[in-house]
Amino acid sequence: MRRYFTPAVIVMVLALSLIIFGGCAEKQAVVKDESVQSQPAAPPAPAPAPATDDEAARKAQAAREAAAKRNAAALAALNIQNIYFDFDKSNIRLDAREILKTNSEIFLKNSGSKIIIEGHCDERGTAEYNMALGERRAEEARQYLINLGIDASRMQTISYGEERPLDPSRTEEAWAINRRAEFILE
Amino acid sequence: MNSRLFSATAIVFIFLCIVWQQTATAKVYIDINEPGFRQFPIAVCDFENKSTLITAGDGVNEQIAADVRFYLGLTGIFELLDKNSFLDGTEPGRPEIIRFPDWSLIGADFLLRGDAAIADGRLTAQARLYDIARARVIFQKKYNGHSGDVRQIARAISSDILLALTGDEGDFNTKIALVIKKKNASDIFSINYDATGLKPVTSHQSIVTSPRWSPDGRYLAFTSYKEGRPAVYLRHLPTGRERKVAAFPGLNMCGSFSPDSKKLLLTLSKDGNEEIYALDVESMKLTRLTNNYAIDVSPAWSPDGRKIAFVSNRSGTPQIFVMDAGGDNVNRLTYEGNYNTSPSWSPRGDKIAYEGLINRKYQIFTVDMQGNNPVQLTFDETDNEYPSWSPSGRQIVYSSHRGAKTRICIMNANGQNTRILFEGKDHLAMPSWSGRPDTVD
Repeated sequence: MRRYFTPAVIVMVLALSLIIFGGCAEKQAVVKDESVQSQPAAPPAPAPAPATDDEAARKAQAAREAAAKRNAAALAALNIQNIYFDFDKSNIRLDAREILKTNSEIFLKNSGSKIIIEGHCDERGTAEYNMALGERRAEEARQYLINLGIDASRMQTISYGEERPLDPSRTEEAWAINRRAEFILE
Repeated sequence: MNSRLFSATAIVFIFLCIVWQQTATAKVYIDINEPGFRQFPIAVCDFENKSTLITAGDGVNEQIAADVRFYLGLTGIFELLDKNSFLDGTEPGRPEIIRFPDWSLIGADFLLRGDAAIADGRLTAQARLYDIARARVIFQKKYNGHSGDVRQIARAISSDILLALTGDEGDFNTKIALVIKKKNASDIFSINYDATGLKPVTSHQSIVTSPRWSPDGRYLAFTSYKEGRPAVYLRHLPTGRERKVAAFPGLNMCGSFSPDSKKLLLTLSKDGNEEIYALDVESMKLTRLTNNYAIDVSPAWSPDGRKIAFVSNRSGTPQIFVMDAGGDNVNRLTYEGNYNTSPSWSPRGDKIAYEGLINRKYQIFTVDMQGNNPVQLTFDETDNEYPSWSPSGRQIVYSSHRGAKTRICIMNANGQNTRILFEGKDHLAMPSWSGRPDTVD
């Protein structure tokens, strides 16, 4: 027992107590002053868009919509039909092949007009991914029409993703008709 | 045992004790990333004007404290103690005495006190943060501003509290961009972290999607159909000038910026199918990064600039992949579920947040860089989508969609302490968190 009280042990005990009491001594609230200016905070507010530019864009949009309406009546007379897709798929279904065949005959008869192929999705899933999926659907339809003899240079694709549903309801039926490609003659 | 060895041991022991003490004082107090993290109890006293000569007036002292409580509450990492429970009073005009045991008794780990005064149209405040367990001052700091700058000063105090306790100033001075859609027309808006200052960024009244801030805060990039077809625009925020940077045949979609703000990732279908490209915004040089007959979309740059996460359906369903910034070494990251999209890279670099379909609902998940440990963060009966990290890496903003109602919510990175940032009758989507404004010119 005796040899535990060596100088070394005493040093250790002393050190330990120093640390403990040292810790206590430190518990005085030492206040140091760091004077600073408050920072002006927010990043620059986005400046409003130049009005004329957007005004022009809105007018163009309105003109396009009016033209589309006029066009729709003419299209209805031609009886061009939409094709539909399965969820998260862009392959041309069997029923769609028949429709594309019929549509291609109409396109061949109206060889002077351009064909816009619109790809659409249902609202489920990510809008960005659906933009790509809509493009893929339009592109698949375009490829199929090329194989049916339609001149590639007449056709242009555009994806609207999930932004332009035919039926905005949240039902299986609505989603089924929203997953589509539309064909517009110009 | 010989005494020489004993002395040597004793010296090493003393040395270690000294080192231990020094590291203890340099310690960052709150490790919010540790698994057992609980909110830290803090008592924020109403500020008090100790000077008997100058009056702050109009409750400025109470207002600063109330604003600090509000801002600390937004972070989700503090438990703000009820001021009615405070035992420790102060005596006006006398030096401040902090009775640490009293604060300990009501469960406070930290205490904020301060005072404010208004003179000659200037607001001067002083804040003191105390560590109750160690019974000492963590910082004391003075703040100056115009007499109306109560909120700004409260925000600066809150930033300093976060910096002192966590080593990071937090997200108080950041903004969130979002898409608001009325009927068929959408536009991008921005809103402050504290839910104030909602304002339009674009007024295209068209299909406008995918807002992405440049990390330096100077630009907002997005996709817009304002000319009838999808194109990517770059808006210089200080001037409001918009530049069309991608309008190729087919799809043109905006992805995220590189950490140095010099390059913008895009999805283009001009070469036959949807591929990912990097656009140098200065030289307009375009580099193709993916080459696969599948959809490749939604690219997000890693914070160190070395990797890019993206969505691809090359394995049959949309999943998250990671590749080198040059396009090599493509690795699949997500394997659970058959619909995983919207990757967002944590600013800390260790995790990717994404949305995944589970039990017919979209929920927010995180996964680590090896594709391990997918963790589901949201569980409610809504579709939770478009996660985007705060610059501090502590919080995630996302949209929450139930029926016709959408909200923009913010939660802690562990999925807890959700608050609603913004809700309204219009459709809200694609929230995107800005960088830190101190990097703005």
